[in-house]
Amino acid sequence: MGNYMTMVAAQEAAAIEEVKYDATPEGPRFLSGAQALMESLIAEGTEVIFGYPGGAIMPTYDALFDYTDRLDHILVRHEQGAGHAAQGYARTSGKPGVCLVTSGPGGTNLVTPIADAIIDCTPLVCIIGQVKSTLLGTDAFQETDIIGVTTPVCKWNYQITHPDEVPEVMAKAFYIATSGKPGPVVIDFTRDAQVGMMDKPYQYKKIEGLASYKPRIVPKDEHVQKAAELINNAKKPYILFGHGVLISGAMEELKAFVEKTDIPCASTLLGLSAMPIDHPNYVGWLGMHGNYGPNVLTDQADVIIAIGMRFDDRVTGDATKYIRQARVVHIEIDPSEIDKIIKAEAPVVGDAKEALRKLLPLVKSNNHSTWRNEFKKFDVIEEQKVTRRELKEEGEIKMAEVVNMLSQKTNGEACIIADVGQHQMIAARYYQFKKPHSYIASGGLGTMGFAIPAAFGAKKGAPDREVVAFIGDGCFQMTIQELGTIAQSGLAVKLIILNNNYLGMVRQWQQLFFEKRYSFVELKNPDFVTIAKGFGITGHTCSERDNLSDSLDALLKSDKPYLLEVIVEKEENVFPMVPAGASVVDIRLD
Amino acid sequence: MTTYTICIFTENTFGLLNKITILFTRRRVNIESLTVSETERKGVSRYTITIKHDKREEVEKLVRQIRKVVEVLAVFGYLDDEVVYNEIALFKIATPIGTRPIDIETINKVYKAWVVYWGLDYVVIEKAGNEAEIMDFFRYIKPYGILEFVKSGRVAVGKTPQGLVEYLPQEVHGEYYA
Repeated sequence: MGNYMTMVAAQEAAAIEEVKYDATPEGPRFLSGAQALMESLIAEGTEVIFGYPGGAIMPTYDALFDYTDRLDHILVRHEQGAGHAAQGYARTSGKPGVCLVTSGPGGTNLVTPIADAIIDCTPLVCIIGQVKSTLLGTDAFQETDIIGVTTPVCKWNYQITHPDEVPEVMAKAFYIATSGKPGPVVIDFTRDAQVGMMDKPYQYKKIEGLASYKPRIVPKDEHVQKAAELINNAKKPYILFGHGVLISGAMEELKAFVEKTDIPCASTLLGLSAMPIDHPNYVGWLGMHGNYGPNVLTDQADVIIAIGMRFDDRVTGDATKYIRQARVVHIEIDPSEIDKIIKAEAPVVGDAKEALRKLLPLVKSNNHSTWRNEFKKFDVIEEQKVTRRELKEEGEIKMAEVVNMLSQKTNGEACIIADVGQHQMIAARYYQFKKPHSYIASGGLGTMGFAIPAAFGAKKGAPDREVVAFIGDGCFQMTIQELGTIAQSGLAVKLIILNNNYLGMVRQWQQLFFEKRYSFVELKNPDFVTIAKGFGITGHTCSERDNLSDSLDALLKSDKPYLLEVIVEKEENVFPMVPAGASVVDIRLD
Repeated sequence: MTTYTICIFTENTFGLLNKITILFTRRRVNIESLTVSETERKGVSRYTITIKHDKREEVEKLVRQIRKVVEVLAVFGYLDDEVVYNEIALFKIATPIGTRPIDIETINKVYKAWVVYWGLDYVVIEKAGNEAEIMDFFRYIKPYGILEFVKSGRVAVGKTPQGLVEYLPQEVHGEYYA
């Protein structure tokens, strides 16, 4: 009992002392936790914060008020928008996206983008307010155990309960978010840690490695040698590359590598635009709705060189039947991906750029033109059976026509944002990417509603690029409120709704695999153009093919945000298609 | 089903147990036993987790995913014959006046178990050993009337000549306990 009383007395004394710190900051570098956070963000090169204020994060927003000359802030309309915008920003700028939201619902609304970012390897630093540390666990107003909620979906999380922790934890957060395989980190920032003054002078030191976490960047010599040996002896080698190439900035290295070895290469969905589409060694993209040849010929390659990709089930189809004949080189920064889905005979753990640099002098110059030409045979079949049909100018406007025409008008140089569904696949199929970082979509998680916020985030990250988003009518209504953010920020993003009045991809599956039982996929849509107008965004609808070209011109010419709604064929299907669970060689063309 | 012992070294930080167990949950692997304590190095915790699994490959994938948790320093997966392991059990046995007295000699000599506490009408017996040995003793002592039985999770050391802490990243300069 005596012990207990002493404990309480000590706690009370500590509480009194805490108040004292608040009252007498000793000199200018003794900052509050919230100020230290601002300084830390600036030290890490943060330019913009995507956020939404609320009770538990208000002290930080108050500090931000004094930093607006150095930190830009974009006020979103829903925290999910902040997360996806930060993702779009990260993927065009190459810098981590920073989100600032309040506790409870603010944090839980951010969970979807966090889950999206972990699966698509996007660096995010999410700062989430939290109730006072003395109230933790008491079901206080807007208290959610955000550490518990985000643990399965983030790369790292930490709860700051004392202002002194801020600089070190933020340095760790930025290091973890951006190094190795990038991902989202969550900082749970209690209100008292924001308000309280630091006990020690503010000092910031960037981190370049942790004892427990130091990803291997430069691969081991013996791994590279083994890989080179396999590649040099291959008769029909085939490169499958993914997002890792874009993340590590290995575009030039990849080009040099394929040009020296003359190996055909295909991209995953998120790897799109890492190689210009007109490169002679580029054969197309892989996966469920990818190109015909690139999918089918995985079955004939004797050596597969996987670079910065993880054999997602949308790429492999039935993984037990995937590339069983091939010997596999797997270049990958995350060791847990090696052998996860496909066994690698020559794993190369390291950054794609470094690995390709090391590999280049070890591989022989080669000529694989006969093998490369096999892809062309399949291209002809795909052109006849799919592409020609989809681009044929008759009947209702087809999504493919819109994407194709936009691609021509922008010379393949725009940054394309896609939402999730049929239009996402069509955008990937028909846009002729010439510049890297030009296809930004939610790949792993397939988050509907991604595109509107990701588009203005991407524009913020690459203000000089033309940013065009393709969005389905279903997706558009998931984050429609972010039109307000676009209008307020004035970011000149171009939005194209491909409206078929259906949840198109689900409808396609219901048609093909559920006997056309269209269960809850038809939408009664609002007048999108009027809604945009209400937000202060100009737009118009195009329902006639004759107006399509002029409509796209109007969209592209505008120096302000613009919405174009195109009424497209209601029951268009996306082909080629590997049915779920089938082998990639069983890809369907109709 | 094969028993695997997974030894995990981590920084001793908040909420880490959850970060680790959640990986087992996600892969639908049931944890048979779990023991956590600080190692001979300050600030470094050691987890000993036993699971049963029929695919070695899947266990290897799990081990690699555990390694991915930022605060994890090292992970090792073992089969039973690669480790020396033990558990500890406490038995609270009723000894009311007038009943058959417990046979201390058999308990000590045959079962290598020890009475660690004498109450007025019960005793507490401690038995260390592997699961089979503990269950053997359980069957022996059961007729005397078990008031309470508790068994710890497994602790294990590898049969390699080096200590596992030697494999920790060089940057971990944790102080040794005297």
